[in-house]
Amino acid sequence: MNDVEIALHQVRYEQKTYWRNPMAAVFTFMFPVVFLLVVGTSAGSSTISGSTLRYDQYLVVAMLVFGLIAACYTNLGVTLCIRRDQGVLKRMRGTPIATASYFGGLIGSILINVVLLTALVVAIGMVGYHLHFPYHPLAAAVTLLVGVVTFCALGLAVTVLISNGEAAPAVINGIYFPVVFISGVFYPISNSSVLSKIADYFPVRHMVKGLVGAFENGPGSGLQVRDLLIMALWAIGGLVFAVRRFRWEPRHR
Amino acid sequence: MDDIVISVKGLTKSYGGFEAVRGVDFEVRRGHVLALLGPNGAGKTTTVEILEGYRQRDGGEVSVLGRDPSHRDKELRSRVGIVLQECAVDQYLTVTEAITQRAGLYPDPRPVDEVVSMVGLGAKGRCRIKTLSGGQQRRLDLGLALVGNPELIFLDEPTTGFDPSARRESWELVRGLCAEGRTVVLTTHYMDEAQALADQVTVIAAGKVVASGTPDTLGGRDQGETTVRFVLPAGVELCELPLPPDLRPEVRCGVVEVRLPDATALLHDLTGWALARGQVLDGLKVRRPSLEDVYLDLTGDDG
Repeated sequence: MNDVEIALHQVRYEQKTYWRNPMAAVFTFMFPVVFLLVVGTSAGSSTISGSTLRYDQYLVVAMLVFGLIAACYTNLGVTLCIRRDQGVLKRMRGTPIATASYFGGLIGSILINVVLLTALVVAIGMVGYHLHFPYHPLAAAVTLLVGVVTFCALGLAVTVLISNGEAAPAVINGIYFPVVFISGVFYPISNSSVLSKIADYFPVRHMVKGLVGAFENGPGSGLQVRDLLIMALWAIGGLVFAVRRFRWEPRHR
Repeated sequence: MDDIVISVKGLTKSYGGFEAVRGVDFEVRRGHVLALLGPNGAGKTTTVEILEGYRQRDGGEVSVLGRDPSHRDKELRSRVGIVLQECAVDQYLTVTEAITQRAGLYPDPRPVDEVVSMVGLGAKGRCRIKTLSGGQQRRLDLGLALVGNPELIFLDEPTTGFDPSARRESWELVRGLCAEGRTVVLTTHYMDEAQALADQVTVIAAGKVVASGTPDTLGGRDQGETTVRFVLPAGVELCELPLPPDLRPEVRCGVVEVRLPDATALLHDLTGWALARGQVLDGLKVRRPSLEDVYLDLTGDDG
């Protein structure tokens, strides 16, 4: 088998492992769905100022961002830290698998999850909240793809900061949640607010803006190039950091 | 030479200022089992991890299957199987799935069912790994290392925590691997394991090889002194026994102990004396130094 076939072989087993471990799927799939069903129905249908989306429709898009980040950054970061701690990564390093095939398998499996998540959340939005199918489907696809790359890169990078697998979920979510709060994932934030100015330094807000742009119509909608470029900077920074400092072996052994 | 599978010459490795390995040499022949013995922190694991390609050496020459393991090339990794000290298996797959997954990474794997039954997990094939006992997970770990059909297998303390019968089965498995012409490097703390399996024992202490040989000759074991012990019969003085005084027999807690190169004549004299007097020599033992005695002797000062 060549490296690509081996990556596809890995995808199968990564998928099995993923769906048998309920914790990961809860954050990625359950949380956005439950949030939409509980909060979305009481969110009201007034239009947000400066947008063609209603409040509840905005939340659908924002929850897709939330789930995507859980599927990429949180899942990859926690999975790798735990496997590193258990010595699974070290063992893998002793087999002939190419590094690219191993990560290809992990990220391929994440891509499947993101496609399923997108279909699920958009379907709930369209059925429950009259969300229009993205007016700019290509922009939506590009934004989602840039999101997967960025948040997978950051998931790889965060493993460098963690020395103990048991602490991984706490550290990873401890970084993620404050940023998600100020980035307008749970409620819309005005672009002129202080929170928004702070959040603009981080990639989450740009992911929200990028995806909202793909679901809106009218002036200013479509591909949000500036937001995607800022995300790409985070992706490159995360990747460079991860490639330089990634550890395959547990510490203190 | 083609049947030298591993060759190590003048290997050195330091961490910071600490010299973990200070000039280690050894060779392993095809189909042999090398047991690496030594106290914790003696440089054993560092040496093995250099051979496995996990660590870069500082100096010396290392050849594994004719290649330099520091290059970490794919072909070498596909010919080597590794069992690490920590059991490292994904919890959510079944036994068969885990082995099938691993098999897919190798160019010429063994049939999965064969591996499952080789490591004695035939009845557990469809069980999730997290439901297995520690010993069963360890055997799965071994199966994962064998599925790629390796020519050379590294086993780091492979039977720690096994019950006696599981250990015997693992030993049989290792003997079978050698009979197939595979080479095994074994690190262990169990002297009986080294005695049972090894063709060659190398003892490392404080970063150096302090002894190397077959289990039966290590450290001059075959020429070592024999110890004869028995309980001093009641009412008998030491001087009444037919013991040559130049052997300087000792009595400790009523047990007589004599050390000498060859006990044949002494035993004849002793048992003859006892029979003639109608005495019983309680607790009579004749003992050659065990591998453990030699090992403790060799590593004692450096500990």
